[in-house]
Amino acid sequence: MALVLPPFCLLVFVIVVPAAQAVLSTLRVEQDGHVVYSLARYAQILHTVSLYRSVAFTLLVTLASAAATFVLAYTLALYLRFSQGRVSTLLGALFILPLFIPTVIASFAMVTFLQNHGFVATLLHYVGVEEMPPLVFNAVGIVLTEVWASIPFATLVLLAGLQGIDDALIDSARDVGAGAVRTFRAVILPLNAVATIITLSLLFVGILGSFTIPYLVGGNAPQMMSVVMTNYFSNYLRPDVSVAMAALSFGIAALAGAAYVVGVSRRERGVV
Amino acid sequence: MTAVASALRERVGGLLWFWSIGAFRRTLPWLFLAGLAVFILGPLLSLILWAFAGQWFYPALLPDEFSLKWWPVVFGNRSVVASIQNSLVTAPVVTLLSAVICLPAAYAFARFQFPGRRALLLSFLSANSFPKIGLYISIATLFYRLHLMTTYWGVVLIQLVGTLLFMIWIPAGTFRGINRSLEEAARDVGASGLRTFFQITLPIAMPGLLVAGLFAFLAAFDEAQGTLIVGSPNYITMPVMMYTLVLNYPQPVGAVFSILLTLPSLVLLLLAQRLLRQGYLAAGYTL
Repeated sequence: MALVLPPFCLLVFVIVVPAAQAVLSTLRVEQDGHVVYSLARYAQILHTVSLYRSVAFTLLVTLASAAATFVLAYTLALYLRFSQGRVSTLLGALFILPLFIPTVIASFAMVTFLQNHGFVATLLHYVGVEEMPPLVFNAVGIVLTEVWASIPFATLVLLAGLQGIDDALIDSARDVGAGAVRTFRAVILPLNAVATIITLSLLFVGILGSFTIPYLVGGNAPQMMSVVMTNYFSNYLRPDVSVAMAALSFGIAALAGAAYVVGVSRRERGVV
Repeated sequence: MTAVASALRERVGGLLWFWSIGAFRRTLPWLFLAGLAVFILGPLLSLILWAFAGQWFYPALLPDEFSLKWWPVVFGNRSVVASIQNSLVTAPVVTLLSAVICLPAAYAFARFQFPGRRALLLSFLSANSFPKIGLYISIATLFYRLHLMTTYWGVVLIQLVGTLLFMIWIPAGTFRGINRSLEEAARDVGASGLRTFFQITLPIAMPGLLVAGLFAFLAAFDEAQGTLIVGSPNYITMPVMMYTLVLNYPQPVGAVFSILLTLPSLVLLLLAQRLLRQGYLAAGYTL
């Protein structure tokens, strides 16, 4: 038991204390000389047009990125689980690669790839396409880069879940006449539900809290909450607004986090 | 209802007529592979070309001239060199510190039953259930009061946050996978608890611990967001330097520095390839 204490104390010091303090300090508002607890600061944020837009933009980009990553990663995981052969081996080597590329570099590489007169534009030029919508310094660029960076993690978790499914269950479903789609819907999807919940919620929270990608690949306006927060903290010297935004992002993540913890503890208990 | 459904199915089936062509179904995986390869490798390829480009104007498919002329520019920049030094004295210290703090706990999680064990193990996920940037900003306000901002130890602490999960969950999975009877056999022939751990448990667990160390090191080495907030402007590491290079310098400079920054990851990946293939990473993920 004593062995567990050092990392736990560290956890309390670097996560629990700062997070609790952030939430409490934003709830404490001075009113006519008295200190009262209210949601006034959050109301103020949502009434500031630029901040409100940023929150809405963040939700949109985060949901889109998480959904796109999830679909791609599930396809990959299914293929890797149920197919053998050269394509499977190559895919297995390919999908893991972004895990080893720092996010800063991934973002910069994406910029050189997608920018006006970049690599994609050049390739399109050779097939005769001159006009293309801007792919970078906007929401599209952020989503593409987030997907790029999140694929390994999402695929690993989903694949680990799929590998826990007994082949016999799938074979028996096929034996009684279920097609591929039916087998997927009736057998694989429910059995992999916990991995699915974990992947989705961690993707959501991870993308919500990412700074590097929206900072380097995003545009000037609207910006994601992470960029706005950092600007208010370091450049505008308004840490109070910044901390309130941080606490707001905790609130948004808490919803996803709740689903995640429920999912994990179900697995820990051995339900699935 | 069924009529509608069957009509719909017929319609969709009509649209997906190519699905019944065997050749299409055989090439589909290859198309998927090709698409993913372009998506994942394309940006990296473009980056590598930029690092060795002397000049590269649209619409040339390859740089107009290849040269190494941007490399001396990078190495001649004093703040770049300082950032390399900073990274090299931070990441290894963070990894070692994380191992010292976490490995005993990981062993305890794997071997002992105690009240609150499950809740404590789950609590280490909390670093991942907070949006990272919000957490870093909250930590930074605390660090202001403790005078840890822009200091070495402030940066070490913030980088520790990202290593905790790797250093607890992967080793706990590894320790749990070791057959208990091996340890019991050592105890039976008279080895002490410590001797059993260092001569039996530790050697068997070593590959898993190395994988954990590898991921902790990469997490610390590549950490940019928290280090930017806590460390700058005094304590700049390589990934933080990258922000400046990307935003304020010509494109090839950023590309050259990217290659320098990716090098440790790729070297470690190649060294650890054998270990990764044995599923120690998956053991951590499936725990």
